[in-house]
Amino acid sequence: MKSSTPKTSRRHRAGGRYRHALAVGAAIAVMATGACGGDEPSTSDGSGSADAAEKVVLVTYDSFALPEEAAARFTEQTGATIEVVATGDSGTMLTKALLGAGDPEGDVIFGIDNTLASRALDGDLLDPVAGAASESVPEQYRLEGDASQRLAPIDTGDVCINYDVAWFEANSLEPPATLADLADPAYRGLTVVSSPVTSSPGMALLIGTIAEYGEDGWVDYWTALRDNDVQVRPSWDDAYYTDYTVSGGDRPMVLSYASSPPVEIIFSEDDLEAPYSAVALGTCTAQIEYAGVLRGTQNPELAQKLLEFMVAEDWQKELPATNFVFPVIDVELPEVFELFAERAENPATLPPEQIESGRDAWVEQWRELME
Amino acid sequence: MSVTRSAEPLGARRGLASVAATVALTVVVAAIAVPALAVAAQALRGDSLTEAATRILGSARTWRIVAATIGQAGASTALTVAVGLPVAWVLARFRFRGRGALMVLVTVPFVLPSVVIGAAFASLLGPSGMVDLRGTWWPILAAHVCFNTAVVVRTMVAAFDASTVELEAAARTLGCTPVRAVTRAVLPAVATSLIAAATIVFLFCLTSFGVIVMLGGGSVTTLEVELWTRATRQFDLPGAGVLALVQLVAVIAAVGVQRRVGARSGSTVTPQDDSRRRTVRTLGAALAVAATTVVVSMVSVAPIAALFARSLGYPREWTLRHWQNLGSVTDGTGLRVSPLDAIWVSLRSTVLAASIAVLLAVVIVRRLSSRPARFSETAVLLPLGVSSTTLGLGLLLVAGRPPLDLRSAVWLVPLAQALVALPVVVRTLLPAHRGVPPALLEAAATLGANERRRWWSVELPLLVPALGAATGLAVLVCLGEFGATVFIARTSSPTVPVAIERLMSRPGGEGFGQAMALSCVLVGVCAALVAVIGWGSARMQRRGSGPTLTL
Repeated sequence: MKSSTPKTSRRHRAGGRYRHALAVGAAIAVMATGACGGDEPSTSDGSGSADAAEKVVLVTYDSFALPEEAAARFTEQTGATIEVVATGDSGTMLTKALLGAGDPEGDVIFGIDNTLASRALDGDLLDPVAGAASESVPEQYRLEGDASQRLAPIDTGDVCINYDVAWFEANSLEPPATLADLADPAYRGLTVVSSPVTSSPGMALLIGTIAEYGEDGWVDYWTALRDNDVQVRPSWDDAYYTDYTVSGGDRPMVLSYASSPPVEIIFSEDDLEAPYSAVALGTCTAQIEYAGVLRGTQNPELAQKLLEFMVAEDWQKELPATNFVFPVIDVELPEVFELFAERAENPATLPPEQIESGRDAWVEQWRELME
Repeated sequence: MSVTRSAEPLGARRGLASVAATVALTVVVAAIAVPALAVAAQALRGDSLTEAATRILGSARTWRIVAATIGQAGASTALTVAVGLPVAWVLARFRFRGRGALMVLVTVPFVLPSVVIGAAFASLLGPSGMVDLRGTWWPILAAHVCFNTAVVVRTMVAAFDASTVELEAAARTLGCTPVRAVTRAVLPAVATSLIAAATIVFLFCLTSFGVIVMLGGGSVTTLEVELWTRATRQFDLPGAGVLALVQLVAVIAAVGVQRRVGARSGSTVTPQDDSRRRTVRTLGAALAVAATTVVVSMVSVAPIAALFARSLGYPREWTLRHWQNLGSVTDGTGLRVSPLDAIWVSLRSTVLAASIAVLLAVVIVRRLSSRPARFSETAVLLPLGVSSTTLGLGLLLVAGRPPLDLRSAVWLVPLAQALVALPVVVRTLLPAHRGVPPALLEAAATLGANERRRWWSVELPLLVPALGAATGLAVLVCLGEFGATVFIARTSSPTVPVAIERLMSRPGGEGFGQAMALSCVLVGVCAALVAVIGWGSARMQRRGSGPTLTL
């Protein structure tokens, strides 16, 4: 015990120093807490000085690109900035919103498409105030009856098989035209699509095939697709950027959008004269994206204003170039869209109530079959 | 000086500290139990109980996934042992230049976030890697081996060190061939340690999430990933709840086995005198050392080198662009903020989370160390049974709706990270606290120190070395946490692992290069942290405060 006395005293001094370090650590932690206080990196535009009253929060999915000019115009008109809160891909965004239904983390939600609309309506997520915004939109895009009071159509685009024009020329193969072609042995191993579980175009395709082959026939069709070596990837990005021949992959047919060819021109580094891809117009499914005012919003008036603004000309005409979708009202399209965007005459679709009653079971069945 | 511990250490149960300990334990139990209960409640609510349970448990696909989950964990463990055991034997037996470096290198992947390991193997075996093995189990198995080899090597080097040199020599004297000496004398002696290490690896692989999300390509699924997909994409919360329960059963079973085995293997690591290792004299030994060097390089160095090379644009070009762009938002990468913003988010939340974890742990350890070892260690291990995805799902359920609206609370993510880190921190602190000699406390009491004073002047200073290591570990875990964070982090304020996953989910374009650069940053931060921890504990040892713990 004697020998340990000097040791103990040294430990005492050391202990003192470490307690000091602990105190500093605690102080840093407290400062970090303070520094964190509400400084979520804001993706809003315009001045950062807007307080809560002058801010309207738009809940949306990750890949949404805010139409900057229109957003600035909105701020000019109302004095309020738009803050974008992205909470995941479109499915995850809706899940999170539904969990907080009635006590939302924003004012307006955008990005619920026609395949998931019924889930949002079921969950009592939205205020029935979208009527005014819906009115200016042609009938074909609007939901029917009471649903149109909750969800206003914002944009539309067809989900279609795209093909690599040069590849089909080089291989002297007739390009695909219909969904039936995907199951044709002539196109064996040439197609890549994305999963309906984790991607919204994938879900649109599933709906399209059910519209085409019926609730009794789609399982056989997908069995044929599987046997014809159709590749399924989790996301559109995976399919398009890694498997599609245009991106350097080995499959010349990919599930994408009718707007993809003009987008190739927009994104091309050297001046591309014509797109690499063309659209198989007989394979298209209509996709419509909706927005609504979240029930429980603290800013019902501003939310209403934003919703109506999203259906108005400024916002609508900026959508093609920023989000690669078509407007739902009659506005001038960018030149590349006029030149290169083909649109299917009768894209496949299903009535919302049929989607609602069948969707979850279809997805389960699809997973059993394909995964 | 042999002092037997009194059944009731001085002051462990009385006074302010005791109240604080009780409060902390309650907070932890609540924070872990409430989300778990929410998941269970979601699964069991009303009619949906039978419906969800029948649907999930009656589906052949569920059992395929269960089989795949256990199968991949088993295969990963077998491969890890196959790689790690020979490496450990060579490192234990021979003395050679660079042996220390190999020991360090083999540990490196273990301290890296799973998402970084995932990114590294995606860059080697993904769509833009050397071979595209998406949709197969190989990239996942490779990543698991890379990640877990450290567990096997470190445990087994210690086991080989413990006593088997003499054992092997004796076997040789009795006429065994060298191989026979190893298989008949050495391996049986270290079997318990090997089983313990393998069980830990199995447990890690069973709950692996980040690696599988990054490398599974959607078609390769385990319970964790299925739970995530079902909850967030299919909005099938009852189904996800049932899966969480299935996962819980599987993990508790694995933890149970681990406890049984772990209890039998005295896991005391006695650093061995280097002089007992042989110098490399024979050709066989030289070959063994060379092979070990190659294996360690493949397992530890190659993935990180690949990350670095790819961050510089290799093989298409050489560019610093991905590094220069870390400060800016790049279009088409799927990330709404700059990678630098993500780094800030991570740093802030990690500081908070590690502080929460360490403070809670200090208090809890005091409470636990007055209990029998078996009870307290099991209590600390149990939260591991609630996997990080279950915790994330629970927090999503609890925080996402009234009365608790924490979705925008800046401390929601730190809270999740702290809960994930807590078991590791407690396990680091507990032995140190047990090592506080009761005699010192009794002496202090005799000299008139009250309980608070004894804690402040005796217990805390003795805990400091372990506290440093525990803080470092907490920071490492929090920095790399992915499974729980991904449920609750917003895309507009992602942590670094979440940002890397987002960037990697957009193959092609700039996202990939940025993900590589960001992963390299995280590797750098983790390496620096480990170096600091190592330096700190070495300093402590020199100072002499380390040895006093083993009075």
